[in-house]
Amino acid sequence: MSILHTISKSQDSKLLQNCLSVIGEDDAILFIEDGTYHCSVASSLSSIANGIKLYGLREDMIARAILAHSDDRVDTVDSARFVQLCCDYDKVVSWF
Amino acid sequence: MTEKTNEKQANLTRITFISRSAPYGQNRASLCLDMALAAAVFEQEVSYVFMGDGVYQLLKGQDGSAIGSKTLGNALETLALYGIENVYADASCLEERGLQEEDLLPGLQCVDGEALSKLLETSDTVFNL
Repeated sequence: MSILHTISKSQDSKLLQNCLSVIGEDDAILFIEDGTYHCSVASSLSSIANGIKLYGLREDMIARAILAHSDDRVDTVDSARFVQLCCDYDKVVSWF
Repeated sequence: MTEKTNEKQANLTRITFISRSAPYGQNRASLCLDMALAAAVFEQEVSYVFMGDGVYQLLKGQDGSAIGSKTLGNALETLALYGIENVYADASCLEERGLQEEDLLPGLQCVDGEALSKLLETSDTVFNL
């Protein structure tokens, strides 16, 4: 069973740490809304195991001027792909 | 002359606003800005400080239209129009987030905690949002 975790708040929240404490090795993380700030912070991303796929919602990253600062590890996706990802994984767990 | 100057200073309230929220997730950032602009209209001595996630408001190249919002970065440019020239960012908050001064909108000063501490000390009122 694989899970897509969505994270919608920045590093100031402890959402990423909470998520990482329960994440499975086949899971993925999608950063949305203020969660997209994680994509630009190396110390945030280095705490995530290498096998975990990372996605960032492009619209939210454009609005926040984060796209140019985003790490190469993060795959940016649009809303349509967001929907597709929700279907590709068995479950979606929202961290908000 | 001296009396007049003193009188003027007596009517001035030094108000400092601390904005600690990222620009789009909720409306705190724009509410804080609205308060500061309102204070400036009443010709108070306003200082504006960006701390914590608030420094994300300062990133160049924001485009709120991507998510159907107003672009808050543009709104910040109105600070100068309203005569608010004392605009500060907490340097340690920028560093934590890997942001350089060249990533930011112009017209602000990056300062350390000690300078901000002095600013709060000399302010009559501090709004922290």
